[in-house]
Amino acid sequence: MEAVAFQHIDKSFGAVTALRDVTFAVASGECHAIVGENGAGKSTLLNILAGSLRPDRGQLALAGTPVALASPREALSRGIGLVHQEMLAFPNLSVAANIFAGREVTNRLGVLREAEMHARARALLERMRLPISPDAHVETLRPAHRQLLQVARALAFDCRLLALDEPTTSLTTAETDHLFDILEDLRLAGVTVLYVSHRLPEVFRLSQRISVLRDGCFVDTFESKSVSRDDIVRAMVGRSIPHPSTRSGRPERRIAGEQVEGQRPPGRAPTSGEDPRLRVTNLTRRGSVEDVSLTVGPGEIVGVFGLVGSGRTELLESIAGIHPCDRGSIAVDGRPARARSPRAAAEAGVVLVPEDRQREGLCFNLSLRHNLVLPAAATRGTFLIRGSEVADSNALLRTWRIAAPSTAITPDRLSGGNQQKIVVAKWLALTPRVLLLDEPTKGVDVAAKYDIHGIILDLAARGTSVLLVSSDLPEVLTLSDRVLVMREGRLRGELAGGADEEQVMRLATTAPEDAA
Amino acid sequence: MKAIWRIRELSTLAILAFEIAFFAWYLWPGEGRPHPFLNAANALLVLKYSSIYGIAAIGAAIVIICGGIDLAPGAIIALSGVVAGGLFVDGHWGLGSSAVAGLTVAAACGLLSAALIVLAGLPPFIATLGVMGIARGVAFIITEGRYFDVSSALPADWRVAGIPLDWTSPILMVGLAAAFQILMTRFQWGRAIFAIGGNPVAALFSGVSVGVVRASVYLVSATLAGVSGVALTIVQGQGKADLAMGYELDIIASAVVGGASLSGGRGSVVGAVLGTLIFGVLRNALPQVPGATFYDRLIVGLVVIAIVVMDQLLQRRKGANA
Repeated sequence: MEAVAFQHIDKSFGAVTALRDVTFAVASGECHAIVGENGAGKSTLLNILAGSLRPDRGQLALAGTPVALASPREALSRGIGLVHQEMLAFPNLSVAANIFAGREVTNRLGVLREAEMHARARALLERMRLPISPDAHVETLRPAHRQLLQVARALAFDCRLLALDEPTTSLTTAETDHLFDILEDLRLAGVTVLYVSHRLPEVFRLSQRISVLRDGCFVDTFESKSVSRDDIVRAMVGRSIPHPSTRSGRPERRIAGEQVEGQRPPGRAPTSGEDPRLRVTNLTRRGSVEDVSLTVGPGEIVGVFGLVGSGRTELLESIAGIHPCDRGSIAVDGRPARARSPRAAAEAGVVLVPEDRQREGLCFNLSLRHNLVLPAAATRGTFLIRGSEVADSNALLRTWRIAAPSTAITPDRLSGGNQQKIVVAKWLALTPRVLLLDEPTKGVDVAAKYDIHGIILDLAARGTSVLLVSSDLPEVLTLSDRVLVMREGRLRGELAGGADEEQVMRLATTAPEDAA
Repeated sequence: MKAIWRIRELSTLAILAFEIAFFAWYLWPGEGRPHPFLNAANALLVLKYSSIYGIAAIGAAIVIICGGIDLAPGAIIALSGVVAGGLFVDGHWGLGSSAVAGLTVAAACGLLSAALIVLAGLPPFIATLGVMGIARGVAFIITEGRYFDVSSALPADWRVAGIPLDWTSPILMVGLAAAFQILMTRFQWGRAIFAIGGNPVAALFSGVSVGVVRASVYLVSATLAGVSGVALTIVQGQGKADLAMGYELDIIASAVVGGASLSGGRGSVVGAVLGTLIFGVLRNALPQVPGATFYDRLIVGLVVIAIVVMDQLLQRRKGANA
């Protein structure tokens, strides 16, 4: 029996084809995983299932009956619950109001039955073993609890098909286990689970079958028991790639005139007596960063790993002057550089390439050229000279091998990977001494990721100090000379580059009560 | 249960009480003479004129909670007053049917705003700016510079359901505020408005009919402005096209002072009404302060900023403690 079948689904956004002739079926009562690289079309497919997008062609069949879902409301009424990748919650409402949002319990006159919703919310939270009060305001919850609250929202109703889009990105190991227990209980109770993730170990652990999407096309469905991880990876990327956490997979270090093969030599750690390039001492930003001290030597790449909410982004933002710290000191080459603005930080030689390129990295109303020269123009404060802008920006496109027809177009016409390169390129045009990178490869395809890794290693080889934040653990481990692990705003440990993933995860996720 | 000091409306009420106490003290006339500010007749005057803002501010608060903005109320107040007054005076319609016609025109303005925002996808600021111009323009076209003398057409000592004329609009304001406060906090419609203001995408995915609810909010706001316009015409005794000029900004300021957040998802109807009373008292008391004549707009502006900044600081402290 098929719970849901996708039949020849096509979907494009303007010139971009997101899904092409996707056909596969999910059996009733199974946990079915959908995997694929970023941009493979997983989220588009889920949005079609949730009724928020309509396919251009093809149709959806629920339990054998073709349906055309006109709205999320209709999908919900047919028992389809979706847990979104972004945390779609109402921060201004209570937990109980969030759970019942859109489907409140009312009496015949339409008055809200707060007491009943409260009681049902409490029972549901207890069943999920979530230690949160139905009265708590959602903006006060931890990210993980907000994510689990979304599952609770789907469960509050008669949900027969639960689709989850990357639900574990902000969860600790214990919280992931917790979620998986809940999902397994649901599956045994007859709920069909559709699980979208790029974390293959989770996918293998949870699902009975795995469907692979690549570039908007359906590749194949595999039985989890009889397929290897490498087979899935090959299906996802369309070719064999080396295992990302092995050293052989590391991109070559490019230095003008010489090629260093294989393993990158450790960065020149600061010798005693010599000032490190960047020294951060007892940096504290109330509520997010607690008493962090670190150093980065010239040419050194230091990775910072932590889960969402661990304070890693806030740490970079404090160093870059976006959110000045409350206490502590920052020095570049021995000179104090506690910046009060990104501009002051840039003058001290510190630049941040932010995580969210849509919101913080690019001006989508401006051409590539104007984006590329913006930091240089803003910090130099000189007159804009069109001729040199054109020359500079064209040179940057060539240096960074950005696939763009011209610098006159706007960034939305580029792929995610090329957008990311523009963000990196525009800041590096300032030739910073310290480069802060926040999730430099988030949402880019494998090829662009390897390009960006190459750029980072190249910069370090030229002497730039790099502080790298990423939630992609293999990336942190391959690129970094040292790895610092953050949890709840504090540094919890320092490991040599190439430490194993488990060690890092243990430091990043050990809850305070377990640490004792 | 919400702790009592967490209720946002109480701080607005406290500001109002402080303000009244301040002017009672500042304008103290000395032994034997009547107090120029603190007397029953003046209180009724404040209520009577504040209620014109107050009724419209209920709608403004709802729109702002829903994450929108409505710039049209001032113009709709004038238009509905002109329509009701014109029909009553020139058209010799009954007072009731003239009032209903005024409300219908106001509701039509609201539907136009809603259609522009929900169907055509215009930003609320632009859509309601346009409707503001249209409503004010139509009011001028109808009156052609005249005004409709409603007071002389009304029977002397005229009462609505036995209530003295001066009392009708304050009572209307209190009744509507209570009704909409309950709708906003105890009914699905209100919960949907808070949800849309908090996160419109999540609301859509939760099955809220976002378009319908957003449309209803502009309809309600315009209709309440219509109620306010008809009331103003009867209270002032005349229908004029240049009535309520610039009221929209005072109304929005009242809602914000009463706790509404312009980023949506926060606020209250009762708070907005209390906000209009804060401004009503200021507008009433400042002219009585010797030498303050030319300062009253400046003081009103400073008060708006002071109250909102104070609120933000309190919010931030609450957030830090949580």
